[in-house]
Amino acid sequence: MTRLIGQRAIASLLSLMGLMILVFFLSRLTGDPAVLFLPIDATEQMKQQFRALHGLDAPLIEQFGRYVWDLVHLDFGESLRKARPAIDVVLEAYAWTLPLALITMGLVVVAAIVLGALAAFNIGGFFDRLVSVVSLIGASAPDFWIAIVAIVVFSLNLAWLPTSGVGTPMHWVLPVAVLFVRPFGLIVQVVRGSMLSALTAPYVKTARAKGVKNGPIIFIHTLRNAMLPVITVIGDQAAALLNGAVVVETIFGFPGIGKLMIDSILQRDFNVVLAAIMVTAIAIFLMNILIDIAYSLLDPRIRH
Amino acid sequence: MILKRILIGALLASASVAPAMAQADTDITVVLSEDLDLVEPCMATRSNIGRVVMQNISETLTELDVRGDAGLMPRLAESWEDLGDGSWRFNLRQGVTFSDGSAFDANDVKHSFDRVFSDQITCESARYFADTELTFSVVDDNTIDVKAEPAQPILPLLMSLVTIVPSETPMEFVRDPIGTGPYALSEWTAGQQIVLTRRDDYWGEQPAVTSATYVFRSEPAVRAGMVAAGEADIAPQISEEVADNRDTDFTYPNSETVYLRIDHSVEPMGDIRVRQALNHAIEREAFIGTVLAEGTELATAIVPPTTLGWNPELEPPAYDRDKARELLAAAEADGVNVKAPVEVIARTENFPHVTEVGEAIVQMLNEVGFNASLRMVEVAEHEQYYSKPYPEGRNAQLIMAQHDNSRGDPVFSAYFKYHSDGTQSGISDPKVDELIESATAATGEERAALWSELFAYVQQDIVADALLFHMVGHSRVGTHLDFRPSIATNSQLQLAEIGFK
Repeated sequence: MTRLIGQRAIASLLSLMGLMILVFFLSRLTGDPAVLFLPIDATEQMKQQFRALHGLDAPLIEQFGRYVWDLVHLDFGESLRKARPAIDVVLEAYAWTLPLALITMGLVVVAAIVLGALAAFNIGGFFDRLVSVVSLIGASAPDFWIAIVAIVVFSLNLAWLPTSGVGTPMHWVLPVAVLFVRPFGLIVQVVRGSMLSALTAPYVKTARAKGVKNGPIIFIHTLRNAMLPVITVIGDQAAALLNGAVVVETIFGFPGIGKLMIDSILQRDFNVVLAAIMVTAIAIFLMNILIDIAYSLLDPRIRH
Repeated sequence: MILKRILIGALLASASVAPAMAQADTDITVVLSEDLDLVEPCMATRSNIGRVVMQNISETLTELDVRGDAGLMPRLAESWEDLGDGSWRFNLRQGVTFSDGSAFDANDVKHSFDRVFSDQITCESARYFADTELTFSVVDDNTIDVKAEPAQPILPLLMSLVTIVPSETPMEFVRDPIGTGPYALSEWTAGQQIVLTRRDDYWGEQPAVTSATYVFRSEPAVRAGMVAAGEADIAPQISEEVADNRDTDFTYPNSETVYLRIDHSVEPMGDIRVRQALNHAIEREAFIGTVLAEGTELATAIVPPTTLGWNPELEPPAYDRDKARELLAAAEADGVNVKAPVEVIARTENFPHVTEVGEAIVQMLNEVGFNASLRMVEVAEHEQYYSKPYPEGRNAQLIMAQHDNSRGDPVFSAYFKYHSDGTQSGISDPKVDELIESATAATGEERAALWSELFAYVQQDIVADALLFHMVGHSRVGTHLDFRPSIATNSQLQLAEIGFK
């Protein structure tokens, strides 16, 4: 297990370095931040001064060397637009994204596994049909639409919840609920499909013949065998959430990493873009390691 | 994106919500469209920063009355006089203190300008003094002389653009701005909110608003919904689609002018008949009330009508497709390649329905015989086409751009847009250069007359560009507030102007 984690960590580190090099050079090909930071009628002298102040007038390779040197000292540079350390800006945003992603995925996983497994067990019945319809609607509905409908219904008409913002736990209800819908819709379908094939396996018949009750058959014997494809989809969906939820952040004024990343790319705030991508990448690599561990726990063949 | 806007607009329009008060007292919440990168006084001419900082936290020596006709008014300077030879004397207000308790004096003024011109910090307001060198002489605590080289006849007006900070302010962007204004920054949680609190020791009249909390929501429908739900009191910028409540929603001229910048150096745009044809081909009225909001005005100048020297005699070019075809035919007969490709380049999200406006213009141009196409680009790419140096080997390009001038004087527009050396100028005309230089150096009525002459010359005599629209903005204001948005709302939101009913 330790060896597996070690191998994964080294592979992740190499990928991270490759990503950093790629993003550093590609982002600098996209344009000059001076013209975006300064007003359109700024003088050339002002633009040059801005470039000089931020070291953007040096040859690209020199800029890269300086960036790597600073990075070795855990200095991600300063945000060009916010005049603050880029890593502070990114971690502040990530402190909102991470709990949002964890809470949402936690709820999604529990709800999707329980409901998906029960639906598969009652195949063709009312409960199965209901779960299928609801999950398909959830997987297909655009999230900006759900978000706005949720605001209109729960904040404006019923006045139960605040429209947006992050002040109290009540502010988290709508963003989490909106983010919940799509991954829930997808994962419940995968759980259901995977359980259907697992329930037809000979060992289930044997268990039934031995008189094992439905509960243990579903949640102890079958579910574990059906979980491998489910874990893959969970990883996929969690990675999307760890990248930030741009639509939800935009509509609910949630100060997460997704919108920060988009804004920084548009404004060519290179250091923030790089820091945000690195932090996000690290989070996703860590999550992948967790998924690998989960695989090996579920299926001993992978361990060997 | 369009589908999204329509859906959101329809959904919120259908939500019947009685506007409610956000707070019972005199604290208000303002919901802005974007978070502030900085709360730095020397960046207050950037509109999103200015809405929070300008005349709330930090004040200027003079202030332009863009709502009424009071012209240039005293603020931190009580009076000023022209000493001749490019020098001006400013007599400063006495008894003014900064929010940190220190007294305001002439050294603070000098330091504020040193900061703007410092090479250790990139302050936006430096652009207004591009080719002017200012020398400051502190006469005494309450008097300062400013000498401009070359002489700058509108120096007092330019003083309305530089905020005054204490002389201890470092030569770097600050996160705790100290100013002389009626409010002080009491909280700034990046990405979430900024809170300004009224000062008890402000030199002027006490404003009615005791505290203002600024929050940030990108989605106009959510901003409007927050005022409707009573979570906010003012949303200075909402979209037309959601501005559906007569009791709370206002339309105001937002000082932005949309035009097509024509580069005269590329065929076929060098021929005046082609430029006239282009202007006659566009049915400007058809846009208003359809893809552009009601209240949008047809432009006859690059600046809004509230600007000095705006020429009331100018009329927008008549929509006349036959005349456009005749002009093109005449140009073609003289060997002008009127079929040369013409690209209309517009910026995504520059203003509401910019793509539809671009598509319609291209259609109108092609109907009279142009070979036009539309290219939508994002902000950084747009800048490459809009500002010099222009790309080599380019086809004819019509750059659709939106220009903001709420400063009251055309000098902030004319040089950049029309002078031969102007960064976004598509023309090189000695008479235009001379008019701009003369008007810039003139004062009073002569100045206004010269600007008027310039506007007539560029629109009628040389048809420099295709001026299209003076745009409008929309605000939602809680019914308990006594506040009416105006042309000033685009760049600042003075809390002192907000009252309670």
